[in-house]
Amino acid sequence: MRGFEALIILLAMCVPFIAIKSTDLTTYLYWTLVSALYLIYVALKRW
Amino acid sequence: MLIYALVLYLILGTLIAIYAMRRVVSEEEYYIAGRKLGGVVSALTYAATTYSAFMMVGLVGLSYSSGVGALGFELFYLVGTIMLLSYYAPKIWKLGKEKGLVTPGDLLKIRYGDLSAKILPVLIAIALIPYTSLQIISISLLLSKEIGFETGIAISTFVIAFWAFLGGMRSVAWTDAIFGVFMLLMAISAVLFATTLLPSSDFSKLGDLLYVPNSFWRIEVFIAYTLPWFFFALTNPQVVQRIFVPRDEASLKRMVILFGLFGLIYTVLVTFLGLQLRLLTELGNFPKITDRDLVTPKFLEIMPKELSVAIALSIFAAAITTANSIVLTLASMFSRDVIKRRSVLVGRAFVVAITIAIALFAIQRPAYVVDLAVMSSTILLCQLPLIFGVFHSKRGGDVSAIATLLAGFTSAILLYYTKATFGIPIGVWVLLISFAAFFFVSTIEKRFKVETS
Repeated sequence: MRGFEALIILLAMCVPFIAIKSTDLTTYLYWTLVSALYLIYVALKRW
Repeated sequence: MLIYALVLYLILGTLIAIYAMRRVVSEEEYYIAGRKLGGVVSALTYAATTYSAFMMVGLVGLSYSSGVGALGFELFYLVGTIMLLSYYAPKIWKLGKEKGLVTPGDLLKIRYGDLSAKILPVLIAIALIPYTSLQIISISLLLSKEIGFETGIAISTFVIAFWAFLGGMRSVAWTDAIFGVFMLLMAISAVLFATTLLPSSDFSKLGDLLYVPNSFWRIEVFIAYTLPWFFFALTNPQVVQRIFVPRDEASLKRMVILFGLFGLIYTVLVTFLGLQLRLLTELGNFPKITDRDLVTPKFLEIMPKELSVAIALSIFAAAITTANSIVLTLASMFSRDVIKRRSVLVGRAFVVAITIAIALFAIQRPAYVVDLAVMSSTILLCQLPLIFGVFHSKRGGDVSAIATLLAGFTSAILLYYTKATFGIPIGVWVLLISFAAFFFVSTIEKRFKVETS
């Protein structure tokens, strides 16, 4: 289960390399959002 | 004005260190604050130890020159750290409490025996003393206009040794906590000041700096930057030792989550500052800087004096909080694991000796200091198979552990100098070679033991 979680978060972090090519702050906001959501997940669910 | 700020900083830190010194009654108290720190202080010392002067100098410049990929690189590190800590920190903390572990070497000792714990501090010193010297060189150069380079080296090395010498981990942790908050506040101030300078927030002018891959952040470059830092939480001894300091599991959890929150906010601010300064350059309001390490110093020049002094002091504090944590951890490893003298006095002697070594490297600035500093996290990857082995495998003993450390370490150095990497990042090679050495030698070791028994 934890391996699956790790895979999902790592794949989510790689998305900008494949799917985002915009010249605005989309990549910046996407990475920030994914990291924040993962932190919230660990804080609320993992422990 | 900077001198007054430095004096105030020194007085405040020294008062904290003297107060902390009164509690140093045992070796465990000196090195890991008696396993009695609360979650908030633990989180702030973890954050201040992790986030060095690189953030406000190196990462601002990296974002400025290479774009949003710098945020991705640093957030991959953060996500990896939260992932590893949420799984391994409770196990390491529990083992530490049950078996009285104090140093990262103790963790290997309980599984692989004494010899690997004796070799480990030497390899770590080779990786981290030049890294720490480079931090001192960077902040001394930053302050050189005000106080001179040599004075900068002298003040910084004195502060590193003095606070750790007096109060050990508790002193380092309390000063880390106070100056960690200061670092965060100064990063916010820097972003707010840059915002006031921006006539427009049309970031589209930055073009390919706003996506990855671009001309700098190619996939292989991204992997080369990210991989060594991804495992930082398990391979860098100064942060591994901090897993032992929270007083209970609730404090440990608070440490991990609050560190994650600090790291996220700090990283977002610092990389955003780099993008803001680049936009200012594109709009003609900030000079074009080709050497990315000079972006922050140039930014400090255009600020009001009070703000630039405060931010320069926060960069100085960031370097000190990282450096004194490294020194204290190395001192604990040399005194407990190498010469096996369990006394606070010996630990304090090592704090002084290691700081002198750092100062000598910083003053002489031999060319290989930069090489070793750049490679520090890659070199430290050689411990990873052994740390995973503690929790996931029964393979291997002393011989496998030593072979793994030496194979990983020598391959990192050889590949760095020969460049014979066939396009594969050195970190990947070091991991492959270390894991291969661990499995190969542990298999032979097992057979040999079966035959002799």
